Amino acid sequence: MELTPDETTLFTVWGLDISETVGFTWGVMILLTLTSILVTRNLRPDVPPNRWRTTLEVIVTAIQSQIEEISPRASRHVLYFSGTLFLFIAFSNLLLVVPGFTPPTASLSTTAALALSVLIAVPLFGITRQGIGGYLKTYVQPSVVMLPFNIISEFSRGISLAIRLYGNVMSGAVIAGILLGVAPFFFPVVMDVLGLLTGLIQAYIFAILATVYISSATATAGKPLPKEKDK
Amino acid sequence: MSVDWITVLAQIGNFLVLVWLLKRFLYKPILNGIDARESEIAARMGEAEIAQKQASVAEAAFLEQKRALLVDNSEQVERFRQQTEKEKDTLLAVTRESLEREKQEWQAHLNSERDRFISELQLASAETLYQLVRRALRDLADEDLEERIGLHVIGKLKSMKPELVSAAGNAEQAVATTHKPLPDRTQEKIRTALAGLAPDLELGFTTDPGQAPGLILRVGSVQVAWTVDSYTDELTGMLSERLASGGTGWMQNHG
Repeated sequence: MELTPDETTLFTVWGLDISETVGFTWGVMILLTLTSILVTRNLRPDVPPNRWRTTLEVIVTAIQSQIEEISPRASRHVLYFSGTLFLFIAFSNLLLVVPGFTPPTASLSTTAALALSVLIAVPLFGITRQGIGGYLKTYVQPSVVMLPFNIISEFSRGISLAIRLYGNVMSGAVIAGILLGVAPFFFPVVMDVLGLLTGLIQAYIFAILATVYISSATATAGKPLPKEKDK
Repeated sequence: MSVDWITVLAQIGNFLVLVWLLKRFLYKPILNGIDARESEIAARMGEAEIAQKQASVAEAAFLEQKRALLVDNSEQVERFRQQTEKEKDTLLAVTRESLEREKQEWQAHLNSERDRFISELQLASAETLYQLVRRALRDLADEDLEERIGLHVIGKLKSMKPELVSAAGNAEQAVATTHKPLPDRTQEKIRTALAGLAPDLELGFTTDPGQAPGLILRVGSVQVAWTVDSYTDELTGMLSERLASGGTGWMQNHG
């Protein structure tokens, strides 16, 4: 039984084997980007929004409101980061229903990559917000004794994120594989439906946890950030 | 189950690219669109608020104008009423004046008619009186009226001799005018009587049908006359009195 799509080659480019993980990731990326381009290409304030644009607005504003609930002073970069995490994981998991599609999130490499991204993003957001000195000071809070524990906590946070996402997505696939052997015509459908639900929940949890980590790293007693606006 | 670190790196790269792509094509357009719409809605609400304030101001101005107009209207109505009253009074005065004038004209016309009537009456009366007296005189005394008039005038001339002589002065001719031609006998009597008073005067006779019956003697600037005018005047006065008393009596009887 194959547990990771990393080892399956989807196609080869210039002698380079592209695994299912990377290939399907590109697929998800293309799907999300094309949908965004198609919906937002004729975006003018004087034109009433159509249903597609409204759908995207609902998704984006829902993500934004969730982030603002966790961190009212969060910058838009947190939205870009956490929102992309959510959309990528959610769409990867939802595309499970497409025959032949293996979610990239079922690969431990993908979940590790996402966890590493969070692991790197948290200090970066913290440094951007508080400066490098202010951020490093958080490792010796409340006292210097806590430094190793804080470092371990930081790493274990990333590892737990990666394992949680991988475990959930993979378990769904493994359970579906096992049940396929028991009752090939009935259980896979139920499991796939369940997989859709758990996939969305996992996407939500992963994005929320990433936001919580980032907000905890950026939380200071200083002045609140001014409201941002993209130019 | 293992972690392929090359895949991990590739996925990190893919993820970062996806973040950039979604930021470029999803978040920015969507959020900017929402912001633009929010600001547009805010601007429109601001405009609506301004428009509402302007509408309130305009409404207040309109109400004030309406109130002023009503006041002005009532003032105008009052002014028109007074003007109409004045006009009515003027017209009434003009009408009254016109009526008064017509009444006066009518009265003048009545007076002239009355005068004309009296004049005609006088003439008729004189004529009638003259005829009656003449006939009565002829029937009762077998005398001619013209002759009697002539003798009467001569009688008068005798008493007026000094005045007549001085008035005649250098006059050489006297003229006796009568209503009808006098008989020759009467003419001769008068001529004889006048020759007794003023021998140098030459008497001529003439007639004037418009003159009242009687005789008028003109010597120079002096005129001696006897006509039935005084009698007819008296008769007319008596008739007028009788008419007036009769009219009053009639009014009393039937009023």
